Amino acid sequence: MAKIFCIANQKGGVGKTTTTVNLAAALARIGQRVLLVDLDPQGNATMGSGIDKRSMALSVYDVLLESAGVAEAALPAGDAGYQVLGANRELAGAEVELVDLPHRDQRLRQALTAVEGSYDFVLIDCPPSLSMLTLNGLCAAHGVIVPMQCEYFALEGLTDLVNTIRQVHANLNKELKIIALLRVMFDPRVTLQQQVSEQLKAHFGSKVFDTVIPRNVRLAEAPSYGLPGVVFDAGAKGSQAYVEFARELVRRLPEL
Amino acid sequence: MATPHTVLILPGWQSSGPGHWQAHWATLPGTVWVEQDDWQRPRRGDWLARLDEVVIDTPGPLRLAAHSLGCLLVAAWARHSRHTARVQAALLVAPGDAEDPVLRERLPGWAPIERQRLPFASRLVASRNDPFCRWPRAEQLARDWGAELIDLGEAGHINADSGLGDWPQGQAWLHTL
Repeated sequence: MAKIFCIANQKGGVGKTTTTVNLAAALARIGQRVLLVDLDPQGNATMGSGIDKRSMALSVYDVLLESAGVAEAALPAGDAGYQVLGANRELAGAEVELVDLPHRDQRLRQALTAVEGSYDFVLIDCPPSLSMLTLNGLCAAHGVIVPMQCEYFALEGLTDLVNTIRQVHANLNKELKIIALLRVMFDPRVTLQQQVSEQLKAHFGSKVFDTVIPRNVRLAEAPSYGLPGVVFDAGAKGSQAYVEFARELVRRLPEL
Repeated sequence: MATPHTVLILPGWQSSGPGHWQAHWATLPGTVWVEQDDWQRPRRGDWLARLDEVVIDTPGPLRLAAHSLGCLLVAAWARHSRHTARVQAALLVAPGDAEDPVLRERLPGWAPIERQRLPFASRLVASRNDPFCRWPRAEQLARDWGAELIDLGEAGHINADSGLGDWPQGQAWLHTL
């Protein structure tokens, strides 16, 4: 049965999509069967997986509106070894169309039920705003992985996200919890980053994963080639860190 | 006298070029052209979200002037949006029949056409020789949407080729709704 995780942070530009794409590729690299679900109408995770978002015949939009199944709409992410339920601007329409439809926040959860035996992991890239799309992601997930930059204002975004998760947990999805905080774009030479990192560990304890993703130019370059960094340059420090994070995630699954 | 409402211009597939009555109308005061992200590959959800954004961003009462696929957009948007009360009326000109087998293939996602009665007053202007919508289909759509049907005779797809210029009669049909 697939473990379903949202990659979320209500602060934009924190490396959320980079984490989703590279974690998917890293899990695939260590032999896991992975589905990446792009719930952001910008479609960056789709493009970053080598799929042209403009030419997709079916997308997560069709799945949410129940005009297609996941198996029918999922596409292979090139040679990266995982599958993608892609998104493009059409997904913005789902925000309008889902409002008056039944089970509007449970659409993704219901759709994933049909394929949960086909994958070990489902990773959902959520948009940064709290929307009907984000709710669908949070209602479908067993847990949330939060990529964080160790900067002062990063903690503010985290407070909002924790409150959102509490509300979804109380009202819609009893399984939902934060399972991992992942420190990304980390530069150990910056004292403030070390301090924030220590604060995170003091506050969230073992939820802060040991693996740290360093700031790495190869990870930043990879999307322009339509490849996850893990595939674009497997030897880069950032790529190796994502593979290490994938191993840590698999290792710690029983305790999550 | 100031126009008391804003007219949103909703072109169809591949947009409306110079010479089209919609392009003429867009130069008039009190009009807003609803620019879609992709005119060549019209995705229903994308178009619907854009219309919703423009409705939210445009103050005051609104009237819609739709052509071809824009008419189907109005029906789809009206079926789902929470902002339909902002719209006073709609002029629906030469709706494209996305349920026709040829168009269905080229415009995936637009069939079946939303058939619910529109929650605002409307007129549907159709032509007897429209290559993208046979007359009986236009009659049926007008009945489903609760629109008053206007017969423009043999006017093709009621586009730039129809040579309507700024089409004052169409403006009157919209503003007297």
